[in-house]
Amino acid sequence: MAAVPIQPLIPPRAGRFRLRRPSLGKSALSRNEARWGLIFLSPWLIGFLAFTLFPMIASLVFSVTNITLAQDTPLRFVGLENVQRMLADPQTWQSLGVTFRFAAFNLPIAIVIPFVVALVLNSRYLRGVGIFRTLFFMPYVIPFVSGLLAWQGMLNLETGWVNEFLRFLGVQNPPNWLQDQALIYPSLAFIGLWGIGAGVIVNLAGLKGIPTELYDAARIDGAGWWASLRNVTLPMMSPVIFYSLILGIVDVLQYFLVPLVLYNGTGEPGGSTLFFNLVIYKQAFNFQNFSYGATLAWLLFGITLAITLVVFRTSRRWVYYAGER
Amino acid sequence: MTARPFRPGVLIAAFALLATACGGSTTTNPPASAGTPSVAPASAPPASAGPATVPPGGPVEIRWYCCLGGGEAPEQKTVEDKVVADFNASHPNIKLTLEVVTYDQANGQLTTEIQSGNGPDIVGPVGIGGANAFHGQWLDLAPLITKANYDLSGFPSNVVDIYKLDEGQVGIPFAIYPSALFYKKSMFEEIGLKEPPHKYGDQYQMPDGSMVDWNYDAALKVAKLLTVDKSSKDATDPAFDPKKITQWGLELQRDDLRGMGAYFGSGSLAAAGSKTVTIPDAWKAAWKYYYDAIWNAHVSLTGPQFESKDINPKDYPFFNGHTAMSENFLWSTYGVADAGDDWDLAAIPSYNGQATAAFNADTFRILKGSKHPDEAFTVLTYLLGDAAPELLKAYGGFPARTADQQAGIAALQSQFKNTVDWQVAIDGIGKADNPNFESYMPAYNESLGLVGSGGKYLTNWGNKAGLDMDKEIQALQTEMQAIWDKAP
Repeated sequence: MAAVPIQPLIPPRAGRFRLRRPSLGKSALSRNEARWGLIFLSPWLIGFLAFTLFPMIASLVFSVTNITLAQDTPLRFVGLENVQRMLADPQTWQSLGVTFRFAAFNLPIAIVIPFVVALVLNSRYLRGVGIFRTLFFMPYVIPFVSGLLAWQGMLNLETGWVNEFLRFLGVQNPPNWLQDQALIYPSLAFIGLWGIGAGVIVNLAGLKGIPTELYDAARIDGAGWWASLRNVTLPMMSPVIFYSLILGIVDVLQYFLVPLVLYNGTGEPGGSTLFFNLVIYKQAFNFQNFSYGATLAWLLFGITLAITLVVFRTSRRWVYYAGER
Repeated sequence: MTARPFRPGVLIAAFALLATACGGSTTTNPPASAGTPSVAPASAPPASAGPATVPPGGPVEIRWYCCLGGGEAPEQKTVEDKVVADFNASHPNIKLTLEVVTYDQANGQLTTEIQSGNGPDIVGPVGIGGANAFHGQWLDLAPLITKANYDLSGFPSNVVDIYKLDEGQVGIPFAIYPSALFYKKSMFEEIGLKEPPHKYGDQYQMPDGSMVDWNYDAALKVAKLLTVDKSSKDATDPAFDPKKITQWGLELQRDDLRGMGAYFGSGSLAAAGSKTVTIPDAWKAAWKYYYDAIWNAHVSLTGPQFESKDINPKDYPFFNGHTAMSENFLWSTYGVADAGDDWDLAAIPSYNGQATAAFNADTFRILKGSKHPDEAFTVLTYLLGDAAPELLKAYGGFPARTADQQAGIAALQSQFKNTVDWQVAIDGIGKADNPNFESYMPAYNESLGLVGSGGKYLTNWGNKAGLDMDKEIQALQTEMQAIWDKAP
């Protein structure tokens, strides 16, 4: 079926307004308003300054020194020595490769599956929506490490339920899900689906927010399910998808807890779970090389920032905000 | 939607989003000591008494940091709090404060505290390996021992020597955990096998009546007879099905490859001051034996079986009651009751005519950065002296002080219905590995990723059949050498 163009229901500029910059030098009322604004913001601001910005600046300083716990050599400014070491370290590239390979595999799944589940839950034909919504969200409230350990048991080669089921179906030698390099990323992605509840809720909220008039108009114009999805749902959901994508990128580049819990941070099997964030943690806190760990952390920050900016830049081409031109 | 010029606000928003999206976590390892069996040492030397008066500037604060080993359980914390209160009541010149950090966070937090110049004074209980993670940070106690005329003669000299390192005398013995072979009597009786010898040097009578040395070859033969599949066929039977094992014959201590090696002979991966990886031949033999026990003899659990909570719910297969023999440290008495009421201790098998019982030990240490070493030493001697009975009981530690060991045995025995030959454990102290397997090696923490708990090679060998162990050991050596070459 051909795509049916949908005319925007909201006229250009209608309802658009610009937030005025708060002025501290204008009136007593605005000063008072600004003061209260800062007071209400101050818990977050103080927390951000003390626990995020200051440590970031400290880590930047660390990255140009030779600071370690043992401090076998005198503390000194080393310039870009740590950067040179990082670039020459094969583990840097190996772990970045692992991170990007997994990201390429996992990110589409982490974006698409919650969206699809939300679409199903939003269907008018589905009965017991509340029950399904609860079921999908319930795993999210279970402590992540507990869930991981449960999955570790489920995917055990010998006694895991998954393999027990496969044996029941007649599979003689079911796979070793968590130790086979060919299956490790699908297995980790599968485990990750356990926690899609929040993503489903966000997507569902977005779907519920799409005005039904748009679908009515599309139907009048002869649009079927697919055309409505493509021309109404996806554009209207693009801010939510954009939000999920940004958080998904940040999350996957910081992928850490699962390989730490399942493999004790060893990177097994065969180095396939040696994620970059794990290397940062191990260098800084296990091997006590603070300056090198800080340098690696700044590389990850730079990469994440660059990718995020690229996505932000492309968003102007594919993210549709209903209130904008 | 129209294109707009790129705005700095986007950059700031992205920066804030990324900066606030950060998080972290830490790693987990088996504790150096665990559980809460009771041990009540009979005697302890008097602690050095503190002055009765408060100094002009007020009492000196000494911070006690726990728990790089055991000590975080609520019932242990209760005892520790009481020890602190008692100490403070009797030492007005010192204010002792306790800092309990859970095991999985303790290493990272101590690292941060030391690095920020806010390190504690005393750390413990901590094992040899746990302390080596902070190599170079510990105070040499020798001058303080001399100054206080502290008597070390009450401890076995080989245990005192464990704490004599390149950093000096960094510890005084407190709790020790010799090894023994735990075994299930009923499994031996069921098939008419003689029980393994309790006395080091005694021979073993095989089913054919021949007397043989109690070594690892003999142990493997016995283990095969004790390994049984679902059809009740043992591992010597051609019809034995290794995929359907219901009872395993022998479990080696697999927390650490170095420890596994130490049961075959004392050794170290590095000679003192050397940065060349040298794997002792006995350790290579131990690792091959372990691999063979899993994949060829089928007497030990595979990696997935070991990881399975259905087969091995409490992390040590002997506890599940389906394992006939298991090498382990005395701290494993915390969970051994689950194996039933028919277990006992036997001698560790010998290798090349020599039996070696790998050894664990916990104590308290003073950090080199302590601003008040004298007061910290006063606290240390209190913990090792007046407070030792209740702390050992809380930690499930076996007393290092020779005079207290009989009382320790009585306390251990009181926990079990079956009568255990604890003398085997006492004899194991004399068979302790020296150098200790947890001795310092270059790039200690990074090297542990290869040979330590949950380490790469230990995991691989448990998971993959058909490996060429000579190549594996060579790969381990090469990889570790690369790490050491990078170390300062």
